[in-house]
Amino acid sequence: MIKFENVHIRYDSGITLRDLNFEINSKEFVYLFGPSGSGKTSVLNMIYMDLFPNEGQVIVLGKESSYVKRRDIAKIRQQIGMMFQEPRLLSDRDIYSNIAIPLELFGYKSNEVRQKVNRTVDELGIRSRLSHFPIELSAGELQKVALARAMVNTPGILLVDEPTAHLDPVASDEVMKALWQIHGKGTTVLIATHEERLIKDEPARTISMHGGEIIQDRPL
Amino acid sequence: MKLSYIIREGLVGIRRSSMPFMNSVFSVTIALVLVGVGVLAVDNGLQYIGDLQPDYDLEIFLTNASSVDEQQELASIISEDPGIIRMDYLSKQDAADLYSAEFGEDILSLLDDNPLPSSFRITFEEVYRNKIYIQSFVHSMEQLSPVDEVMFKQDLFDRVQGILQSVYLISATAIFLIILSTVFLTANNLRLMILSRYEFIETIRLLGASDFMVKAPFFLEGGILGFIGGLFAVFIIAGFEFGLERMHIIELPVRIMQYPELIAGVLLFGISLSSLGVLKAVRRMLRFVA
Repeated sequence: MIKFENVHIRYDSGITLRDLNFEINSKEFVYLFGPSGSGKTSVLNMIYMDLFPNEGQVIVLGKESSYVKRRDIAKIRQQIGMMFQEPRLLSDRDIYSNIAIPLELFGYKSNEVRQKVNRTVDELGIRSRLSHFPIELSAGELQKVALARAMVNTPGILLVDEPTAHLDPVASDEVMKALWQIHGKGTTVLIATHEERLIKDEPARTISMHGGEIIQDRPL
Repeated sequence: MKLSYIIREGLVGIRRSSMPFMNSVFSVTIALVLVGVGVLAVDNGLQYIGDLQPDYDLEIFLTNASSVDEQQELASIISEDPGIIRMDYLSKQDAADLYSAEFGEDILSLLDDNPLPSSFRITFEEVYRNKIYIQSFVHSMEQLSPVDEVMFKQDLFDRVQGILQSVYLISATAIFLIILSTVFLTANNLRLMILSRYEFIETIRLLGASDFMVKAPFFLEGGILGFIGGLFAVFIIAGFEFGLERMHIIELPVRIMQYPELIAGVLLFGISLSSLGVLKAVRRMLRFVA
């Protein structure tokens, strides 16, 4: 489903990702663990085709990123849910509209959109916030909305960047519960995190990174 | 993606960024007013110059001895010429009437007999109205027996044709420059409008929208923008013309409200200018969005 082969990336700033090799199969739950600056977000961005390697191959859903066409990137993204480190919500739309964007883009009928949005916000406990605007929500609630938007379309792959970074322990547990629930429905989940506590609480395969390299790939 | 999404998102986009939208409508309106006024000014100018031209291009005077049969035969020869759009016969009496209308004296009271000849006044079709064609026509007429003299005021003809050619050239250049400057003026404003929507474009692209999904609502929004700008421009031009007439500054032979083709042209130009301008701005922005 996702395959990295000898992937290298060099930035102008000097940060480098070196010789990344791993494979993630369908329906896996994987932690990408490491401190800030270790390259976790870059790995997610490469899977999301928002970043391309200088060397090596990144293969996602059968498409090799070096040869992928622009229109195929959109198709790949339609099968991947991505929760960014920053929530990236549209400030001029209410929470319902923000969560509904992927469904509307992909042509769902309005009653289907309503059903899916309601089910997702119920799972994350943010139904009361549907008519609010992003500026009215706390950082933790914004994280949940961003996650709701990423998972509302029940994607085949869900990429989550630091999902609990701004959350208190209770909210953090709710988010992790939601992620395990969607994984239970067959979605492959890849979580980038620097919090060891998450892995201890809910163990799963963990790819550890440091300084742009994979230092350990520990199965469950 | 459904059509309803494109329509809704296009309309919602207008509501959400109403200030940049109105700013763009304003610039499109100004641009279209410039184009519309330019076209009308040229049209009115040409109409005025056309009025300065003589009613006919040349006059064929007939000999007093020519018979009615000869005159009829000559008329049929002239009417067969493909370059002639109009031919008027002036009898000796018509000529006398024109003389008295022009000089205020009855020629028959001065002389016993009417010395003025009968004639044909000839007007050429626009495409045939050139020196070579007319000179060859004059030459062929002079060979015919009932013809006494062919009067072709070549100096006046050359001068009017020269002025018309210059006006055509200057007008075409002016309109081209106006259109070019309006395209630049509008393109910049549309780019600013799209720039204010960067957050939206980047976000939906990251959420899996294809280029078409991003562009389609903006294309519609551009079309609506151009249509509104076009309507405003038509009303402003009509108001301007009305004002000129009311203040008795000038009487315009050509006015926009009597000219549906120009109204349609202004609207169509506005719609294409805005929708294509918006499309270009979005395409440019998509280059920076992965």
